[in-house]
Amino acid sequence: MFYRPDTFAAALRLKADHAAAIKPISGGTDLVVGLNRGQSLGVDVLDLTAAKDYRRIDHADGSLILSGGTTFAQLEQLDIACLARAAASVGGPQIRNRGTIAGNLATASPAGDGSVALLALDAEVELAHADRGTRWLRLIDYFEDYRQTALGDDELISHVRIPTPSALQASAWYKIGKRGAVNISLVCAAAARFLDGRICLAFGSVAPIPMRAVQTEKLLQGQPLTGALLHQAAQAASAEVKPIDDWRASADYRKAMCAVLARRVLEQLQTDDERQMP
Amino acid sequence: MNQPVRPDVPPSPTPYAAPPHGVVGQSCGRLDGATKTTGAIKYGADLFWGRAELFVKVVRSEHAHAEVKSIITSEARAVDQVMGVYTHNDMPGTNLQGLILRDHEVLTSGRVRYMGDAIALVVAESEATARLGADAVQVEYEPLPVIDSIESALAKDAYPLYKAGNIMGGKRIRKGNVDEALAGAAVVVTESFETQSVDHAFLDLEAGVACYQDDLLTIEAPGQWVHEERRLIALALGLEPEHIRIIQPATGGAFGGREDISIQIYLGLAALKHPGKTIAMRLDRAESVRARHKRHAMRIEYTLGAKSDGSLTAAKVTVYSDEGAYASTGPAVMRKAASHATGPYRVPNVSVDVYGVHTNNNPTGAMRGFGACQMAIAYEGMMDRLAIKLEMDRFDLRIKNLIQSGDEVTTGQHIQVATAVECAEAAMGKFREVNGGLLVQPDEAHLRRGFGMSVICFGLGYGDGFPDCARARVAFDDAGKAVVYTGGVDVGQGLINMVAQVAADELGLQLDNVRVVAADTALTDESGSSSATRQTYFTGNAVKLAAEEVKEELLDIAGAHLQLHPHEIELTSGFARAIHVPGKEIAIKELVAQGKKRGYKLDQQAQFKPGTLCEDFDTGQSPRSFVTYLFGAHVSQVLVDIETGEVKVERHIACHDVGKAINPQAVRGQITGGVAQGIGMALMEEVISKKGRILNGNFTDYILPTIKDVPHVECIVLENTDPGGPFGARGVGEPPLIGAVPAVLGAIQDATGTAPNILPCTPERVWRMLQDGTNA
Repeated sequence: MFYRPDTFAAALRLKADHAAAIKPISGGTDLVVGLNRGQSLGVDVLDLTAAKDYRRIDHADGSLILSGGTTFAQLEQLDIACLARAAASVGGPQIRNRGTIAGNLATASPAGDGSVALLALDAEVELAHADRGTRWLRLIDYFEDYRQTALGDDELISHVRIPTPSALQASAWYKIGKRGAVNISLVCAAAARFLDGRICLAFGSVAPIPMRAVQTEKLLQGQPLTGALLHQAAQAASAEVKPIDDWRASADYRKAMCAVLARRVLEQLQTDDERQMP
Repeated sequence: MNQPVRPDVPPSPTPYAAPPHGVVGQSCGRLDGATKTTGAIKYGADLFWGRAELFVKVVRSEHAHAEVKSIITSEARAVDQVMGVYTHNDMPGTNLQGLILRDHEVLTSGRVRYMGDAIALVVAESEATARLGADAVQVEYEPLPVIDSIESALAKDAYPLYKAGNIMGGKRIRKGNVDEALAGAAVVVTESFETQSVDHAFLDLEAGVACYQDDLLTIEAPGQWVHEERRLIALALGLEPEHIRIIQPATGGAFGGREDISIQIYLGLAALKHPGKTIAMRLDRAESVRARHKRHAMRIEYTLGAKSDGSLTAAKVTVYSDEGAYASTGPAVMRKAASHATGPYRVPNVSVDVYGVHTNNNPTGAMRGFGACQMAIAYEGMMDRLAIKLEMDRFDLRIKNLIQSGDEVTTGQHIQVATAVECAEAAMGKFREVNGGLLVQPDEAHLRRGFGMSVICFGLGYGDGFPDCARARVAFDDAGKAVVYTGGVDVGQGLINMVAQVAADELGLQLDNVRVVAADTALTDESGSSSATRQTYFTGNAVKLAAEEVKEELLDIAGAHLQLHPHEIELTSGFARAIHVPGKEIAIKELVAQGKKRGYKLDQQAQFKPGTLCEDFDTGQSPRSFVTYLFGAHVSQVLVDIETGEVKVERHIACHDVGKAINPQAVRGQITGGVAQGIGMALMEEVISKKGRILNGNFTDYILPTIKDVPHVECIVLENTDPGGPFGARGVGEPPLIGAVPAVLGAIQDATGTAPNILPCTPERVWRMLQDGTNA
């Protein structure tokens, strides 16, 4: 069966009733790829694209609340550097017009560009159930293992909450791929510095999940981002990530790139004063 | 003002005037452009609509190397809607295919040698049920050791893939005394290069239909040489060629990838088994990548010697080429590699050994460049290295050694019109138009800018004595339109316009008064393959010759009407006009009508068969390896991130001497496309396999360049008349790719100070190269 409810509430009802027997689809950038490779879905499909109330971006209490159905094309327009640039690096224009942030989070690919940017922003994700209501989780607690998340079979991702630009001092993004577009990250990194001084650093394609480099972050807290500290952080990041060898890239390369990318994204967070410091 | 006074006499008419005066040299729109834009034209898979009755699915090997112990088809036959399951036992003919050696079973009887080998064929009422049937075929294998690389094939205790071992064959060049020359050289540079396996990656996947009716098997599927396909299908299926008709549908790209038979024999077998039914078959991307031949991965060991002034004295080259499981066009590719081993340079002492090595990888065969592409990477890489060692400018070193008209290439053939120097100077001149060629280095310490250059040559046509002939027919139809019949295949490169423009120009017609019937074995004569950059030269000539015959008839008809000698009449813009008497003219349409009444045929055939000479097998020398040579030069500018290894091509200049651009826009299109493909080969494209199993058989993981990876290509089209080409034209197809790759690699070397020798230069390879000075 193919369901196409016109409200998110109706979609939630269907998901709660059918649980694992129904798969949500928006951009289809994962499910359709699987179908093209001859994999059978084996389940019903829940098309979320007709739910108009699933594409909204709202401001509330110093936060930005994105509906799960927010597309990468919409995210590209946001005034949040790391998220906008990550979104702009996803696929090509057609994919960005279809692909959604909830899809990125639900698929939980370690190379999910949107997931990495949201991790650096210390975003929260709202998981919703038709009867049980909603629950908010920090994204860092949401990713559990390779393509495993806290999202229940009977839930949908309703919202993502990120700090507004006014709570952010700066954020940065860098992605290495084999070509200029329609590109799976070999390694990607995002960093954000908040007005309260916190710094978050996240990487993609270097662990079973999109990961926050929490050990490296500890080094950075409350310290001016001097050249020496950046160097130290780069080494720490490289040591902290757990990449694998695959035919896309070797673990060696990915580790080395984490050091390079950590320094690059953190440099972009520096204040002018810090840039002068050794 | 001070011009000499000329006597007021008309110019003397020259009946043999060759220069085009009509549509040749104009960027006429594609005759098939409108239908391609609207989608009205039918590609292979479009033929299914409303016609397909039965569908074919092939069962392919699960092992890269194994003995097939048994094939059980009973369960597959029992699948609902499955109409037939066929194996080698059902093949009526030789069951063999292969363009040069018939060494590849259509349906495997005993041993599978790569994962694309076909074992059984399922015919069903839908594609889905055909797939179910294919899944139900049970094959019992006894796995054998898998040879997955040149190294493992050459290992001392390697499992022999064939009775003769793992060396398929070889080609060599011997000229002068290389060892002596190297011993006496002031500088010697040695390097080894590894090029990768590349997929043709045309967008229009293999698809077509077939029907057997009234003792005629009709197959409509895209290939590159309909008449050769008919011969091969006839052999495999045990039919006489005259009982087979091949029709080429509209085709979206080939690049050599359609030279080996793809789906045609399967379609034919299914059609024979289900007479009267229209059979359909198509490959999806995964199956296409898995089943089809690739570009040869090569390991090239190169030693180059020179005098202290930079004059080349000797080249010693050893090439190992991964031929994969079957020969395909491998022997010809090896010969092309050998004969292009030193490119456009004068090298008096040359020794080349090319060895083809069998593995359990996909068979490797024709792909744009055909062995010459890999060699250009090597000889241009060597020129860059030699320049560094000699502390000479790379450009000056090249100019000093490039052949001039009259010089010989490595096979001993003297080149009548060698324009390598002119190409190189034009490309560098264009490069220097920006800031005098001085690169501004970026502020960021991790970014380095550099430029590289290449000069290449390419022997056109099959060469080396292989029969190479084009035929054409030009006739006026009853509506007064000129019709060009050619067996040549338009795979998207623009052959249809090429032949139409040549005929229109010769007959003095506008392009809309010409139509083309191409690539149908029932309606057209053999014109050779759309490959080897040969169609403009060969079929262009054949069409011109046939059109000249018709033109003579028209002039005779017009002469009687205008009361003039035919030499006093020209055909132009749809009219026969008196050259010296303004206003005295008659419409060609009218002439055609008159002529037909007066018994003129206005229907002429011609063939063009210039001939080449087979090389001496011991020395590789031939006074005429190829009918003519093409020259080109590229300059590429890149930005390299030395911390991440990322490379971005910022500028790319490509200069090609095409003799005469029949359609300049089409020529620029070919150049731009070749450069894009070359950038792909230089930086990202690579078929990655492990134990014979391809790991990236889809376009998510097989990385093709996008519009963000290819800059606007700055094309320079030179037109130095070829003495034997139609209107002086040579061709353009393959050289743009060949020139692009080494120019990009040279730019990386210039930017980073380290020269890459393993392709493609992915970020990780470049990074590794910069870490340890080599990208191994």
